[in-house]
Amino acid sequence: MHLWLGFAALALVFWGITGVTQKLATNSISSERSFLWFCWAMVALSAAVLLVARPHAGLGTAVLFSSIAGGTLNGLGAWTSFRALESGGKASIVISLISLYPLLTVGLAVLLLGERLTRMQLAGAIVAVIAAILLSLESPSTESASSHCA
Amino acid sequence: MNVDSRPRTFPKWLLWSLATIVLWGTWGLVSKIASGGVDAYVNQLLYTVGLLPLMVFVGWTVAKRSAGDAREGRNRGIFWAFLTGILGGLGNIAFFQALVKGGSASVVAPVKALFPVVTVLLALVFLKERLGRVQWLGLALAFLAIYLLSA
Repeated sequence: MHLWLGFAALALVFWGITGVTQKLATNSISSERSFLWFCWAMVALSAAVLLVARPHAGLGTAVLFSSIAGGTLNGLGAWTSFRALESGGKASIVISLISLYPLLTVGLAVLLLGERLTRMQLAGAIVAVIAAILLSLESPSTESASSHCA
Repeated sequence: MNVDSRPRTFPKWLLWSLATIVLWGTWGLVSKIASGGVDAYVNQLLYTVGLLPLMVFVGWTVAKRSAGDAREGRNRGIFWAFLTGILGGLGNIAFFQALVKGGSASVVAPVKALFPVVTVLLALVFLKERLGRVQWLGLALAFLAIYLLSA
Protein backbone atom coordinates (compact mmCIF):
# COMPACT_ATOMS: atom_id res chain seq x y z
CA MET A 1 0.00 0.00 0.00
CA HIS A 2 1.24 3.51 -0.76
CA LEU A 3 2.24 5.44 2.35
CA TRP A 4 0.25 8.48 1.22
CA LEU A 5 -2.88 6.33 0.96
CA GLY A 6 -2.46 5.24 4.58
CA PHE A 7 -2.35 8.87 5.72
CA ALA A 8 -5.30 9.77 3.48
CA ALA A 9 -7.24 6.89 5.05
CA LEU A 10 -6.31 8.16 8.51
CA ALA A 11 -7.62 11.63 7.59
CA LEU A 12 -10.78 9.94 6.38
CA VAL A 13 -11.27 8.26 9.76
CA PHE A 14 -10.68 11.46 11.80
CA TRP A 15 -12.94 13.57 9.60
CA GLY A 16 -15.51 10.81 9.46
CA ILE A 17 -15.79 10.84 13.25
CA THR A 18 -16.27 14.63 13.14
CA GLY A 19 -19.44 14.01 11.13
CA VAL A 20 -20.94 12.48 14.28
CA THR A 21 -19.36 14.80 16.88
CA GLN A 22 -20.42 17.87 14.91
CA LYS A 23 -23.97 16.59 14.75
CA LEU A 24 -23.89 16.09 18.54
CA ALA A 25 -22.51 19.64 18.99
CA THR A 26 -25.11 21.38 16.83
CA ASN A 27 -27.85 19.47 18.66
CA SER A 28 -27.05 21.68 21.67
CA ILE A 29 -25.48 24.92 20.33
CA SER A 30 -25.71 27.10 17.21
CA SER A 31 -23.57 26.41 14.16
CA GLU A 32 -21.66 29.69 14.75
CA ARG A 33 -20.79 28.82 18.34
CA SER A 34 -19.91 25.30 17.24
CA PHE A 35 -17.58 26.72 14.57
CA LEU A 36 -15.98 29.05 17.11
CA TRP A 37 -15.17 26.19 19.50
CA PHE A 38 -13.99 24.12 16.57
CA CYS A 39 -11.50 26.94 15.86
CA TRP A 40 -10.43 27.15 19.53
CA ALA A 41 -9.68 23.44 19.40
CA MET A 42 -7.55 24.06 16.31
CA VAL A 43 -5.62 26.71 18.26
CA ALA A 44 -5.12 24.30 21.19
CA LEU A 45 -3.96 21.54 18.86
CA SER A 46 -1.56 23.93 17.15
CA ALA A 47 -0.12 24.91 20.54
CA ALA A 48 0.51 21.21 21.18
CA VAL A 49 2.00 20.85 17.70
CA LEU A 50 4.48 23.61 18.59
CA LEU A 51 6.06 21.16 21.05
CA VAL A 52 7.01 18.76 18.26
CA ALA A 53 7.53 21.12 15.34
CA ARG A 54 8.99 24.59 15.05
CA PRO A 55 8.56 26.66 11.93
CA HIS A 56 11.97 27.41 10.49
CA ALA A 57 12.94 30.71 8.99
CA GLY A 58 13.22 30.97 5.25
CA LEU A 59 9.91 29.52 4.15
CA GLY A 60 9.16 30.58 0.59
CA THR A 61 6.48 33.20 0.07
CA ALA A 62 4.34 30.88 -2.05
CA VAL A 63 4.52 28.11 0.56
CA LEU A 64 3.77 30.47 3.44
CA PHE A 65 0.89 32.12 1.60
CA SER A 66 -0.57 28.77 0.46
CA SER A 67 -0.42 27.28 3.92
CA ILE A 68 -2.12 30.24 5.63
CA ALA A 69 -4.62 30.59 2.77
CA GLY A 70 -5.52 26.92 3.32
CA GLY A 71 -6.98 27.69 6.73
CA THR A 72 -8.88 30.72 5.46
CA LEU A 73 -10.26 28.90 2.41
CA ASN A 74 -11.38 25.88 4.42
CA GLY A 75 -12.95 28.02 7.15
CA LEU A 76 -14.68 30.30 4.65
CA GLY A 77 -15.94 27.22 2.81
CA ALA A 78 -17.53 25.96 6.03
CA TRP A 79 -19.19 29.36 6.49
CA THR A 80 -20.52 29.55 2.90
CA SER A 81 -21.86 25.99 3.19
CA PHE A 82 -23.85 27.08 6.28
CA ARG A 83 -25.10 30.13 4.37
CA ALA A 84 -26.20 27.91 1.46
CA LEU A 85 -28.28 25.80 3.85
CA GLU A 86 -29.67 28.88 5.64
CA SER A 87 -30.57 30.57 2.35
CA GLY A 88 -33.29 28.06 1.59
CA GLY A 89 -31.32 25.45 -0.32
CA LYS A 90 -32.55 21.89 0.23
CA ALA A 91 -29.93 20.02 2.24
CA SER A 92 -29.93 17.07 -0.15
CA ILE A 93 -29.24 19.36 -3.13
CA VAL A 94 -26.77 21.69 -1.40
CA ILE A 95 -24.68 18.86 0.07
CA SER A 96 -24.73 16.94 -3.21
CA LEU A 97 -23.65 20.03 -5.13
CA ILE A 98 -20.91 20.87 -2.65
CA SER A 99 -19.62 17.28 -2.89
CA LEU A 100 -18.41 18.16 -6.38
CA TYR A 101 -15.53 20.24 -4.98
CA PRO A 102 -12.85 17.53 -5.44
CA LEU A 103 -13.41 17.75 -9.18
CA LEU A 104 -12.29 21.40 -9.03
CA THR A 105 -9.16 20.36 -7.12
CA VAL A 106 -8.46 17.71 -9.77
CA GLY A 107 -8.95 20.25 -12.58
CA LEU A 108 -6.76 22.88 -10.90
CA ALA A 109 -4.03 20.36 -10.05
CA VAL A 110 -3.92 19.11 -13.63
CA LEU A 111 -3.96 22.63 -15.10
CA LEU A 112 -1.72 24.49 -12.65
CA LEU A 113 0.52 21.81 -11.12
CA GLY A 114 0.83 19.65 -14.24
CA GLU A 115 -0.38 16.51 -12.42
CA ARG A 116 -1.42 13.60 -14.59
CA LEU A 117 -4.06 10.99 -13.77
CA THR A 118 -4.20 7.48 -15.15
CA ARG A 119 -7.55 6.38 -16.60
CA MET A 120 -8.16 4.27 -13.50
CA GLN A 121 -7.50 7.25 -11.22
CA LEU A 122 -9.73 9.52 -13.30
CA ALA A 123 -12.50 6.93 -13.05
CA GLY A 124 -11.79 6.69 -9.32
CA ALA A 125 -12.12 10.47 -8.89
CA ILE A 126 -15.49 10.47 -10.64
CA VAL A 127 -16.74 7.41 -8.70
CA ALA A 128 -15.55 9.04 -5.44
CA VAL A 129 -17.65 12.13 -6.12
CA ILE A 130 -20.70 10.02 -7.00
CA ALA A 131 -20.18 7.99 -3.80
CA ALA A 132 -19.88 11.16 -1.70
CA ILE A 133 -23.13 12.48 -3.19
CA LEU A 134 -24.99 9.20 -2.57
CA LEU A 135 -23.72 8.99 1.00
CA SER A 136 -24.96 12.52 1.66
CA LEU A 137 -28.48 11.93 0.44
CA GLU A 138 -30.29 10.28 3.31
CA SER A 139 -28.60 10.39 6.69
CA PRO A 140 -28.86 13.63 8.69
CA SER A 141 -25.49 12.87 10.27
CA THR A 142 -23.80 12.90 6.88
CA GLU A 143 -25.55 16.13 5.98
CA SER A 144 -23.69 17.85 8.71
CA ALA A 145 -20.50 15.98 7.97
CA SER A 146 -19.13 18.35 5.40
CA SER A 147 -19.84 21.54 7.25
CA HIS A 148 -16.70 21.93 9.33
CA CYS A 149 -13.99 20.43 7.21
CA ALA A 150 -13.79 19.92 3.55
CA MET B 1 -51.70 36.53 -21.93
CA ASN B 2 -49.95 36.44 -18.63
CA VAL B 3 -46.27 37.01 -18.90
CA ASP B 4 -44.15 36.90 -15.77
CA SER B 5 -42.04 40.02 -16.07
CA ARG B 6 -40.18 39.56 -12.78
CA PRO B 7 -36.44 39.34 -13.35
CA ARG B 8 -35.06 35.84 -12.81
CA THR B 9 -32.60 35.91 -9.97
CA PHE B 10 -29.87 33.43 -9.24
CA PRO B 11 -30.88 31.64 -6.02
CA LYS B 12 -28.71 32.69 -3.10
CA TRP B 13 -28.23 29.11 -1.91
CA LEU B 14 -26.79 28.23 -5.32
CA LEU B 15 -24.33 31.12 -5.14
CA TRP B 16 -23.22 30.07 -1.63
CA SER B 17 -22.91 26.44 -2.79
CA LEU B 18 -20.77 27.42 -5.77
CA ALA B 19 -18.63 29.62 -3.52
CA THR B 20 -18.11 26.59 -1.25
CA ILE B 21 -16.99 24.46 -4.20
CA VAL B 22 -14.48 27.14 -5.23
CA LEU B 23 -13.16 27.64 -1.67
CA TRP B 24 -12.81 23.93 -0.80
CA GLY B 25 -11.66 22.99 -4.29
CA THR B 26 -8.89 25.60 -4.11
CA TRP B 27 -7.94 24.47 -0.59
CA GLY B 28 -6.82 21.11 -2.02
CA LEU B 29 -4.58 22.91 -4.49
CA VAL B 30 -2.94 25.32 -2.05
CA SER B 31 -2.39 22.48 0.43
CA LYS B 32 -0.37 20.61 -2.18
CA ILE B 33 1.68 23.75 -2.95
CA ALA B 34 2.31 24.26 0.78
CA SER B 35 3.30 20.63 1.32
CA GLY B 36 6.20 21.16 -1.08
CA GLY B 37 7.89 23.44 1.45
CA VAL B 38 6.66 22.65 4.96
CA ASP B 39 6.01 19.48 6.93
CA ALA B 40 2.50 18.49 7.99
CA TYR B 41 2.84 19.95 11.51
CA VAL B 42 4.00 23.39 10.40
CA ASN B 43 1.30 23.31 7.74
CA GLN B 44 -1.29 22.77 10.48
CA LEU B 45 0.18 25.69 12.48
CA LEU B 46 -0.03 28.06 9.52
CA TYR B 47 -3.49 26.72 8.62
CA THR B 48 -4.65 27.79 12.09
CA VAL B 49 -3.16 31.27 11.51
CA GLY B 50 -5.38 31.45 8.41
CA LEU B 51 -8.41 30.60 10.57
CA LEU B 52 -7.82 33.47 13.02
CA PRO B 53 -9.55 36.26 11.00
CA LEU B 54 -12.63 34.02 10.72
CA MET B 55 -12.54 33.35 14.46
CA VAL B 56 -12.68 37.11 15.09
CA PHE B 57 -15.60 37.52 12.69
CA VAL B 58 -17.57 34.53 14.00
CA GLY B 59 -16.75 35.46 17.61
CA TRP B 60 -18.19 38.92 16.98
CA THR B 61 -21.33 37.35 15.43
CA VAL B 62 -21.76 34.99 18.38
CA ALA B 63 -21.30 37.85 20.86
CA LYS B 64 -24.03 39.82 19.06
CA ARG B 65 -26.42 36.86 19.30
CA SER B 66 -25.35 35.72 22.75
CA ALA B 67 -28.89 34.73 23.66
CA GLY B 68 -29.02 32.33 20.72
CA ASP B 69 -28.24 29.14 22.57
CA ALA B 70 -30.17 27.73 25.44
CA ARG B 71 -27.97 27.42 28.52
CA GLU B 72 -29.16 23.86 28.97
CA GLY B 73 -26.84 21.57 27.13
CA ARG B 74 -24.43 24.34 26.12
CA ASN B 75 -21.44 22.75 27.86
CA ARG B 76 -22.21 19.45 26.22
CA GLY B 77 -22.40 21.16 22.82
CA ILE B 78 -19.11 22.98 23.44
CA PHE B 79 -17.45 19.70 24.40
CA TRP B 80 -18.52 18.02 21.16
CA ALA B 81 -17.58 21.09 19.07
CA PHE B 82 -14.13 21.18 20.72
CA LEU B 83 -13.65 17.47 20.09
CA THR B 84 -14.69 18.06 16.47
CA GLY B 85 -11.92 20.64 16.19
CA ILE B 86 -9.27 18.32 17.66
CA LEU B 87 -10.29 15.46 15.38
CA GLY B 88 -10.54 17.83 12.42
CA GLY B 89 -7.03 19.11 13.13
CA LEU B 90 -5.64 15.56 13.40
CA GLY B 91 -7.40 14.81 10.11
CA ASN B 92 -5.71 17.86 8.60
CA ILE B 93 -2.28 16.69 9.75
CA ALA B 94 -2.89 13.24 8.21
CA PHE B 95 -4.11 14.91 5.01
CA PHE B 96 -1.03 17.17 4.83
CA GLN B 97 1.16 14.12 5.54
CA ALA B 98 -0.48 12.27 2.62
CA LEU B 99 0.48 15.18 0.35
CA VAL B 100 4.03 15.39 1.77
CA LYS B 101 4.51 11.63 1.25
CA GLY B 102 3.91 11.95 -2.47
CA GLY B 103 0.16 11.79 -2.89
CA SER B 104 -0.89 14.13 -5.68
CA ALA B 105 -3.62 16.68 -5.00
CA SER B 106 -5.73 15.27 -7.84
CA VAL B 107 -5.81 11.83 -6.15
CA VAL B 108 -5.77 12.67 -2.43
CA ALA B 109 -8.61 15.24 -2.75
CA PRO B 110 -11.15 12.69 -4.05
CA VAL B 111 -10.04 10.16 -1.40
CA LYS B 112 -10.52 12.64 1.46
CA ALA B 113 -13.95 13.56 0.09
CA LEU B 114 -15.04 10.03 0.99
CA PHE B 115 -14.96 10.70 4.74
CA PRO B 116 -18.78 10.43 4.98
CA VAL B 117 -18.17 6.67 4.65
CA VAL B 118 -16.82 6.64 8.19
CA THR B 119 -19.58 8.96 9.42
CA VAL B 120 -22.24 6.72 7.92
CA LEU B 121 -20.69 3.58 9.43
CA LEU B 122 -20.40 5.24 12.86
CA ALA B 123 -23.98 6.51 12.66
CA LEU B 124 -25.02 2.97 11.77
CA VAL B 125 -23.22 1.44 14.77
CA PHE B 126 -23.47 4.09 17.50
CA LEU B 127 -26.49 6.24 16.58
CA LYS B 128 -28.47 3.21 15.36
CA GLU B 129 -29.35 5.01 12.15
CA ARG B 130 -30.52 2.88 9.27
CA LEU B 131 -29.04 3.06 5.80
CA GLY B 132 -31.14 3.36 2.69
CA ARG B 133 -30.34 1.56 -0.54
CA VAL B 134 -28.79 4.71 -1.97
CA GLN B 135 -26.33 4.92 0.91
CA TRP B 136 -25.39 1.24 0.65
CA LEU B 137 -24.66 1.90 -3.03
CA GLY B 138 -22.64 4.96 -1.97
CA LEU B 139 -20.61 2.81 0.44
CA ALA B 140 -19.88 0.23 -2.25
CA LEU B 141 -18.84 2.94 -4.73
CA ALA B 142 -16.63 4.57 -2.10
CA PHE B 143 -14.58 1.38 -1.70
CA LEU B 144 -14.43 0.98 -5.48
CA ALA B 145 -13.20 4.60 -5.75
CA ILE B 146 -10.43 4.02 -3.20
CA TYR B 147 -9.30 0.94 -5.12
CA LEU B 148 -9.27 2.83 -8.44
CA LEU B 149 -7.51 5.90 -7.00
CA SER B 150 -4.78 3.83 -5.40
CA ALA B 151 -4.05 1.99 -8.66
